[in-house]
Amino acid sequence: MKEEVGAHLTWQWPLVGSVHADTILTTWLVMLVSLAFFWYMGRSYKSNRVNKRQATFEGIVNYLADLTSSTIGKHGERFVPIFIGMFFFIFILNQIGFFPFKELGMPFGGSPTADLNTTVAFALLVFFGIQFVAVRQKGIKAYAHLFKPVLPGPGGIAAMFFLGPLNVVEELARPVVLALRLFFNIFVGELLLFVIATIIASNVKVGPVNLSLAAAVIPFGLQFFNFFVGTLQAFVFTLLSIVYLSLATAEEH
Amino acid sequence: MTSEALILAMMVIGFSLIVAAVAFGSAIGDGIVASKAVEAIARQPEARPNIFTFFFLGVGILEAFPIIGLGLGLYLFFAVTNVPSHIQAIVK
Repeated sequence: MKEEVGAHLTWQWPLVGSVHADTILTTWLVMLVSLAFFWYMGRSYKSNRVNKRQATFEGIVNYLADLTSSTIGKHGERFVPIFIGMFFFIFILNQIGFFPFKELGMPFGGSPTADLNTTVAFALLVFFGIQFVAVRQKGIKAYAHLFKPVLPGPGGIAAMFFLGPLNVVEELARPVVLALRLFFNIFVGELLLFVIATIIASNVKVGPVNLSLAAAVIPFGLQFFNFFVGTLQAFVFTLLSIVYLSLATAEEH
Repeated sequence: MTSEALILAMMVIGFSLIVAAVAFGSAIGDGIVASKAVEAIARQPEARPNIFTFFFLGVGILEAFPIIGLGLGLYLFFAVTNVPSHIQAIVK
């Protein structure tokens, strides 16, 4: 068994260089899956009677929509679709790693969110999207909070020089931490499975007890843990994006 | 004890220290978040869904740190130094 964690199939593309083929193929697969799922959900509204599947789905969508509009405020209504789409897309991206496509010899498989490129792309999308929305709403005043604790007197200007860079760093740390949190949570889930597989493959025996066979029970619990973590991190990513957007577009009072 | 074995022992201790420290800190944080959430629900039971949302947000943020620590530790353990193969070489 020769299996490596963090090793990717690469393609050479013009202009961008080498790209991770399995990540891109799996993301396309997830796009197809989610398009098919939403198309199917939308098509199933034929009569006025709501069936069980629609009620479950509407519960999740309603929850996210209420959360978005109550956090951002009265103008938060128009951001609801992007956050619902973000939650379901990241959720399916996290859970697609459960299916052993790669182990069955296909070129795709594994969670695309276990690749730092995917999560950094998401975080940059959120970061620049928030800048765009804030600037369009408030103009150049959107960056006024970078100089925020304005102190009276001549010391105020000096304080600005010290506090301004701190505010900038705080602002720039958000997408970095957003990307790293999602990446590490999903990546460590795969890494733990790999560690357990290594223990099983090494066939450790202590007297009559085979420790490797005992370790073979762990992946059952680990998959439940991975499912929980994937759901929680998709939710946390969405909720943090909502909170950052609400902070950036909050009205002064 | 050879110096190689000493270095390997230090690697193992370092890995355990990383995991222990991040688990210690985030366990305290988790406990604080959970106890405050229970207090808030006891005081205002009608705000339970709202409190639950932010409880999960806090737990989700906190849970990231032990996971990041474990990931970095396993990376040091397996990828940078490859402690298990060295230990096997020493035992043989």
